[in-house]
Amino acid sequence: MSANAIEIRDLVVDYGSRRILTNISFDIRQGEIMVIMGGSGAGKSTLLRCLLGLKKPTSGHIHMLGTDICHASQAELYKLREKMGVAFQRGALFTSMSVAENIQLPLREHTDLDESTIQIMTRIKLDMVNMLPYEHLMPSELSGGMAKRAALARAIIMDPKLLFFDEPSAGLDPITSAELDELILLLKKSMRMTIVVVTHELESVFAIADRIAILGEGKLIQVGTPEEIRNSSNETIINLLNRTPRENNVDRDTHLERLTKDTQ
Amino acid sequence: MIKTISNLGSYVLDGIEQIGRTFNLLLIILWKILQPPYQIFPIIKQVYFIGARSMTVIIISGVTIGMVLGLQFYNTLERFGSVGVLGSAVALSIIRELGPVMTALMVVGRAGSAICAELGIMRITEQVDALECMAISPDKYLVAPKLVGGVISVPLLNFVFNVVAIGGGYFVGVVLFGVSEGSYVNGMIDSVLWSDVRLGLVKSIIFGLLITLICCAKGFYLHLSKYGSQGAEGVSRATTDAVVISSVSVLFCDFIIGALMS
Amino acid sequence: MQCNLRSENDYDVLELGGEIDFHYSPDLREHILAPLKEGRPLLIDMENVSYIDSSGIASLVEGFQTAKSAKLAYGLLKISDPALQVLTLTRLDRVFTLYDNAEQFHAQI
Repeated sequence: MSANAIEIRDLVVDYGSRRILTNISFDIRQGEIMVIMGGSGAGKSTLLRCLLGLKKPTSGHIHMLGTDICHASQAELYKLREKMGVAFQRGALFTSMSVAENIQLPLREHTDLDESTIQIMTRIKLDMVNMLPYEHLMPSELSGGMAKRAALARAIIMDPKLLFFDEPSAGLDPITSAELDELILLLKKSMRMTIVVVTHELESVFAIADRIAILGEGKLIQVGTPEEIRNSSNETIINLLNRTPRENNVDRDTHLERLTKDTQ
Repeated sequence: MIKTISNLGSYVLDGIEQIGRTFNLLLIILWKILQPPYQIFPIIKQVYFIGARSMTVIIISGVTIGMVLGLQFYNTLERFGSVGVLGSAVALSIIRELGPVMTALMVVGRAGSAICAELGIMRITEQVDALECMAISPDKYLVAPKLVGGVISVPLLNFVFNVVAIGGGYFVGVVLFGVSEGSYVNGMIDSVLWSDVRLGLVKSIIFGLLITLICCAKGFYLHLSKYGSQGAEGVSRATTDAVVISSVSVLFCDFIIGALMS
Repeated sequence: MQCNLRSENDYDVLELGGEIDFHYSPDLREHILAPLKEGRPLLIDMENVSYIDSSGIASLVEGFQTAKSAKLAYGLLKISDPALQVLTLTRLDRVFTLYDNAEQFHAQI
C-alpha cells in the first residue's frame, strides 16, 4: 500500500437531520504526527469517532492500514483495533479495576504472555508516564492529570502502530503537558507510531505536529505543515491562531431590545 | 389534539425501537457466548454479585410473606373449618406464584437497578467505547456475564425464598395458631406436585432472563435513548424506567406463563 | 525471530535476530531463563535485532533480575540501533549493562 496510514475520502456525517461533517478528504502518512484542530463545534470529535470506528458515517471511506473501516466487518475492525491505541479525553479508565489492571486488560484478552512478562510490561509503561508509584490505586483515587497518564499507558501497552489522542493536554499543568509532548515525540521516533491528536492547545500543536488539519463548521479548511498553517491567509485560521474573540456585531437598538425583552 | 396524538405516536415508536434493540441484544449475546473466550469466571462473579446483593432482602421478604400468607389463609380457612389445608395453601401459593414473582421483583430492586446504573455510567464515561477500541466486545465482556448470572441466580434465590416463606407460614400456623404440625407438613407434601414445582421453575428462569435483559439493555443503550445526553440525570431516569418496566413485565409474563402452562 | 544459543568456556551467548514481538517473546523468555537456571552467565547478542517491542524488553528485564538473584553476570552485546531506541524510550538504557565486545563481558565474570 501507499505510505499513508490513513486515507479519508469524501466523509459525510449526519446526526439525524444535522450535517456535522461535509466532504472531508485528507491523508495521514505513516509515522507522522497529525494534529486535528478547529473551533468548538467544528466537528473534531465526530471526525475522531469515525476514525475510531465508533461512528459510521453517512457516506465516504476511511482506509486505515489497508482496511476500509466504514465498510468492514466487526472481525476485521477488531483485528485492526489490536494495532490501535486510544487515549480518551477523560481517561475512560475502568473504575472497578486498579490502574495496573486497567493497563493489563488488552494483554490478558489478546495475548498468551506470562504473568511476569505482563507485570513487567505494565510497570515499564507506567514508568514512561511517571505513574509507577500509583500502580495499585483505583481510578477514583486519581487526579484528572493522573487519570489521563494512566489512560495513555493503557493506550500504548500493546505497542500500537496507530495512536489517537483526544485532547491530551486538557486539564494538565504546563510541566506535565510538556512532558507529554516529549513522550509523544519519542513514541513516534522509537516505536514508529503514527499519531493523531485532536486538540486546541496551541503550544502543544506547534511543538509536536508534523502536519496540521484545520476544521471549520464541518469542512476541512486546510491541511499543511505548521509553517504553511502559520502563514495561511485564511481568516478562520488566522483568528484561531491569534485567539481572536468572536465579534459581537449587533447595533445598539437591537441589542437593547434583546436585553429588555419581556421585562416590561 | 394533534400534538397529543403525535406525542403518543412517538412514544409508541420509541417503545417499539427499545423492544427491538433489547431483543437484538439478547440474540447477539446468545450468539457470542457460544464462542471462545468463555467468560466463566466473570459469570461466577456476577452470580455472586446478583445473588449476594439480594440474599438478605430475599430472606427477609420471604419470611414476611410466608408469615402474612399463614395469617391470612388461617383467617379465611378457619371460617370454613379447613385449617388443615393451611400447609397446602401456603406452599402452593408460594411455589406457583409468590415465590417466582416476589423474588424477581426484589432482585429488580436490588441488583437490577445497580446493573442498569453501572452500565449506564460506563456508557456515558466512554468506558464502553474504550473497550470497543481495545477490540474487546462490550456486549460479550460486560453484558453477557450479567445475563447468564441473572438466569442462574434468580431461580436459586427463588428456592431460598420458597423455603423461608414456607417456614414463615409454618411459624404462624403451627407455632402461633396451633395448627397441627402433621397436617401442615403432610398437607404440603401431598398436594404439591411436580407440575407446580415445574411451573415455579419455568417462571423464575424466564423472569431471571427478562429482568436482567431489560436492566442491561436500559443501561447499555443509554446513549441511544431520549435521555442519553443528560448525564447523571439520564442514568437515574434510565434506572427508574428499567425497574418499572422490568417489574411490570414480570407481572404480565406471570399471567401469560400461568395461563399457558395450566 | 531467530534465536541461537552458543556455549563459550564459562558463559553462554544467546544470538538474537529479526523482529521480536509478543508472538515470540514467550519463546525468548524461555531461551533466556534456561541457561540462567543452569547457573551459566548469559550474554545476549543483539546485533541483528531489527525490531523489539516491550514484551521482548520485558523478557530481557526478567532475565536480568533472575541473573542478579543468582549472582550471575548478564549483559547485552552490540545492541542494534532500533533496539537501543526502544530501550531509551522505556528508560531502560541505564538499567542494562551494554557491551561492545565479548571480552569486556568475559572480564566481568
